[in-house]
Order: sequence, then C-alpha cells, then structure tokens
Amino acid sequence: MDNVPVILVLVIVLAIYGLAYVLYGKRILERRVVRASPDKMTPAFEKFDGIDYVPANKYVLYGHHFASIAGAGPITGPALAMVWGWGLPLAWVLFGNIFIGAVHDYLAIMASARHGGVSIMSISENVMGKKAKYIFLAYVWFALVLVLAAFFSVASSTFVGTPTAATITVLFMPIALIFGLLVYRTGVSVKTGTVIVLVLLIIAFFYSLNVPLYLTYEAWVIVLSLYSIIAAALPVWYLLQPRDYINAYLLWSFVGLAIIGALIIPDLLFTGPIYTGFAAPGTVIGALAGTAAGSAPIAFFWPTVPLVIACGALSGFHSVVGSGTTSKQLSNELDALLVGYGGMLTEGALSSLAVITPIALAWNFASLASATGLPVASALLKIGVNATATPIITRLAGTDRFLVGYGLEQAVAWSRVFGPGVFESAFLGFRTFAAWALAGFVMTTLDTSNRLARFAWKELFDWLEPKSAAAYRALTNRWVASIIAVVLGAVMAYPKIEVFIPETGKVTTVYAYTIVWPAFAGTNQLLAALALLTATLWAYAIQKVRGGTSLLLMLPALFLWITVTVGLIWWLIAVVPGLPPLYQVGAGSIVLVSVVLDLLLIVLFVRGLGMSGS
Amino acid sequence: MRPKEAVGLMVTVLSLLLFAYEIFYVGLVTGTIGIKGQVTTDALLLSTGFLLIILGPALWLGEVPTNLKKLIEAKTGRKLG
Repeated sequence: MDNVPVILVLVIVLAIYGLAYVLYGKRILERRVVRASPDKMTPAFEKFDGIDYVPANKYVLYGHHFASIAGAGPITGPALAMVWGWGLPLAWVLFGNIFIGAVHDYLAIMASARHGGVSIMSISENVMGKKAKYIFLAYVWFALVLVLAAFFSVASSTFVGTPTAATITVLFMPIALIFGLLVYRTGVSVKTGTVIVLVLLIIAFFYSLNVPLYLTYEAWVIVLSLYSIIAAALPVWYLLQPRDYINAYLLWSFVGLAIIGALIIPDLLFTGPIYTGFAAPGTVIGALAGTAAGSAPIAFFWPTVPLVIACGALSGFHSVVGSGTTSKQLSNELDALLVGYGGMLTEGALSSLAVITPIALAWNFASLASATGLPVASALLKIGVNATATPIITRLAGTDRFLVGYGLEQAVAWSRVFGPGVFESAFLGFRTFAAWALAGFVMTTLDTSNRLARFAWKELFDWLEPKSAAAYRALTNRWVASIIAVVLGAVMAYPKIEVFIPETGKVTTVYAYTIVWPAFAGTNQLLAALALLTATLWAYAIQKVRGGTSLLLMLPALFLWITVTVGLIWWLIAVVPGLPPLYQVGAGSIVLVSVVLDLLLIVLFVRGLGMSGS
Repeated sequence: MRPKEAVGLMVTVLSLLLFAYEIFYVGLVTGTIGIKGQVTTDALLLSTGFLLIILGPALWLGEVPTNLKKLIEAKTGRKLG
C-alpha cells in the first residue's frame, strides 16, 4: 500500500471534496438545515455601521474567511501528524473537514446571520442560557489573546528567519489599499482593479526576492502589535476586504501550484509510509523535547489527533471568525455556503494537497533522488540540511517539513518541464514562496483575531450598557478594546524567560507565551466541540431539524466532544506530570479549568436539548 | 478640508516619501533594507512608513464610499447621514 502515485491522492481528494460540497453542503445543509433564502436581509444591511457591518462581494468574503481561518494551523498540524504516516492524517483531514469542520463553520455563519451577526457564544444564550454565554465569551476572549501572542511570535520569527517574507508583507499592504481605493473610490471595476494589483504584486514579488528586510524579533513584535491595533480598528471595507481578496490570490496560487505540480508528476510514487503506528513518538503537543513524554510513543492517534491537526480538519477559532467578522459582511444568505463550507474545504485541500502530499512524496530524500535522478542532497545542503544525517523529512521540525516538502515537490515537477538544470533554484524559490504564503496566512489571522477579541469583549460587557451607557461606551470603544487585547498578547510574546526542566537537568530559554501555549491546542478544539454542539442545538431547537438530518449533525458533534474531552484528560494524565512546574501551573491549570467548564457546558447543552425537545 | 483629513493627507504624503526612499533608493542601491540582527534607521523608517500608509488614507478619505452608501440606502430604505 506504500507505493501510491501522487495522482491517485489528488484525484481522490478533489472528487471527495466536490461531492461533499454538492451532496452534503448544498442539498442537506443549505436546503434542509438552514433553508437559506436570497430574500432575507442580512445583518450587513440591517445593522450597517460602515466599520464592521459592511456587505461584501461573495468572492471578497470568501477570500477574507479563507485567509482568516487558515493561520499556521493547516500547515504545521498536518506536518507534525506525518509521524503517523500519511494515511491517517489524510483520512482525518477528509473526514473531519467534511463532517465536522465545514459544517461547524457554515452553521456558525448562518446561525450568527439569523441572530443579527452576534457571535456563536452569544447565540448559546438562546439555547443554553445566560450563564453559558458569559462562560463561553470569557473563554474565547482569553483564547484570542493567546492567539495574538502566538502569532506575534510566529510572524516575528518567520520575518527574522525569512527576511524576504517581511519585504513582501510590507509591500503587500499598500497594494491592497490601492485596490480598495480603486474599486470603492474611483469606480474601477473589480476585474480591472484585480489585474492592476496583480501586476503590482508580481513586481513586488521579484523585488522582495532580491531585497530582504531585516529587523530583530523584539522590534517585529512591536511593529506587528501596532499594525494589529490599527488594522483591527479600521473599517473593513478599507483594508480587511481588499487585503483578504488579494491575499486569496496568493493563497490560491499556493494551492493551485500544488495541484499543477502533482499533475506534472502523476506517476511518481510517495517515498513515505502510509502508516507507521497508532502511537507515534514525538507528536505530543506541549511535551518538551528531551523529556520522556516528548519521546515516548504515547501519542495515540485517537484521541490526540484533533489536538495535533487543527485548522486543516476543524478548529474552534473558525466559529469565532464565522460568527464574528464573516457573518457581519454577508450580503446574501446564499453566499454563505461558498464562504463557510467551501472555505473550509479549501483549507482541507490546502492541508491534503499542499502539505501532506508533498511531504509524503519527499519523505525519504535518497529514494526521491533515485526515483527522479535529481540532486536532492545538494539542494538540501543549500538550506543547511544534511541528507545523510537527516535522511527522512520527519526528522525536521514541523514547519521545515512543510517548506522542504513543498519546495521539493515543485522543484521535481518543474524540472520535468524545464530540465534538471532548474532543480536547485526552483527548490529555493518555491521554498521561499511557501514561507511567504505562511506569512500571508499569519498576518491575516493576526488582525482578524484582534477584531474578534474586540467583538467578544463588547459582548462580554453588554450587561453594563443598561446600567451605565457611558461606562459601556468607554470600555468597549474600538481602540480601547483593541489595545487591551494587543498589549496582553504582546506582553506574552515579547519577553524571554528561563525554565529549568527537572527531567533533563537543563535550563532552556523560551518566550513567555509558550508556557501557556500547549493549552491552546486543547482549548481551541474544545471550543470547536462546544460551538458545533451549540450550532446543532440551534438547528434542532430553532430550525426544527429532526430525524436523519439531525443525527447527521449531532453524531459527529458528539464524537468530537467525546474525542476532545478524552484527549484533554489524557493530556492532563500523560503529559502534565512531565512538565516543569511553571508549565504545570500555566498550561496545566488552563486545561484543567477548560475541562471543568467543558463539563459545565455539556450539562447546559443536555438541558437545552431536553427543553427544545419537550 | 477638515483637520482630521488634513492630518490624514500629511501622514499619507509622509508615508509615501518614506516608502519611496526606502524601496526605490535604499533597497535598489544596497540590495537590502537593514542589517541582520540589528535595528537600523532604514528598517525603522520603512516600518514606520508601513504603519503610516495604513493609517493616513483612512484619516484622509475615511468616509464610507458613496457607492456603498447608495447600495445600503437602496436595499434598506434607510437614509445614511
């Protein structure tokens, strides 16, 4: 079973996604569950404020939603999960994507659109009560601050490691602004505007390849924090919509090239194994390198897979985006299927075709070299990877696996077209392109997260409005709310602290946020489970969906909830005892509190289900 | 022109000058902006330009575009100020 040609996986993935979109998305979710109508007024029109509630073109909104939900998750998660072989991660991405992730995203958007554009957390009040709403909102706000901290750090590290990615990012923003000004201010058509900015982008790409921009990690954290405050407070039509629309072209090119690459080399066989074992070493999220938990084969595929692969299959963050920025820009209910369900399938395609497939192909460097006759080892040496000391791709860190895999797949493909002479330069060029795409995803998620934290903050304090409208206005002012979240995020991303690891006897230096970051994987997926349960309860209680369709929604939601809850309890038992005391207090206590809240919310869910049924 | 718009125009011009100097002069002449591992004036100027270019036009042209206003008014029947 190991000798699988690239083309087979490509055809299977595209066929499954196509069928899922039409048969499950269109026929069941849109027509039977949501009963979407083009005649219903959406919150973008009803509550238009020129800042957050602004209708967007279907494709612009698709670009925004896709670029916002695709952070680093759909790339690093599947890359890490490859230690189980490529079969299990691919199966999980396909199953999770179609039956859980895409359903979760679509229902979050539509439930929000039917409730005036409020978040899925506030919708929980209608089906689970007020307590659930505030627990949920506080939980999400803290998670978003953590996302900000992590993404300040990831983006800053990416810009330091690949300084040309910094150049293209800095050039990208004014180009996106030009598009917005052309279309909104001068009446230039979207088509003409797109052509103009794509030409500018191509020039910017070639410029960036040759002119790196250098700053230190700490300086980038400050610049990105200021960027995040400004970008999240500005009207969506001004920066967010044009930026994400243009960004979608970059991301589409990235996925499109992965598909074209596979079509050029259809006959090549994966050099990696389909299955390595159910419990793989080195996959435990949050376990420290060199410790027993970090190297022991205790990461059982079930229940830990959702803690490893997030965005590519499903992620709680998506429900916050869907019911946060996306639902407020939806101009027609019929657009939501492409944006929500289609956006998530695109993200799954990204994980399957641009991450899992290239890594599976390039897994064994010597086998790839002998199958293609290309100088794989000397190309790898150019980026400091010794193929003799590191013979297989899973010995590299998660993000490097993706960059090397994507670069090698593209280089092999284009060498077949233009001859072996282009192999090394193609490898280096496409590896850089992959880093740019990663930076593009991260930057979009950065300011969207801050905007979402602002929304959650505002809803969290809505009880204050009837008591003191002035205090409520001051506390939830868009600049104040943005600054509070960013300052907390930056404080966690900026400083380095020294941590003593008793098990190894060594002191290691880490960024402060990493102390609590291991908890994020679990809390984010718990959020996905709870948001999906809320959405299915919304379908049951408000939409009156019953019978087989209701079960089709409810069973995957319950499966996810059980998986994540067992996964978190497993994490507390198997991983936390091996962590240094600081991590035990930081990440351990967050997960413990999450499990308690989880159980509390499931009680409220069951009560809500009972009340809706009676 | 209102004070906010005048400030926005000034910020926009300043950011464009910073961008033009760093991208077309420093970048093209030296082949790099900044020095690895250091915080240099050039890199700081470009970063400042990057932030100002986002803010400047928003202050200068910050009103909701007319075609968007018309769309909302037509669909909702609500008169926007």
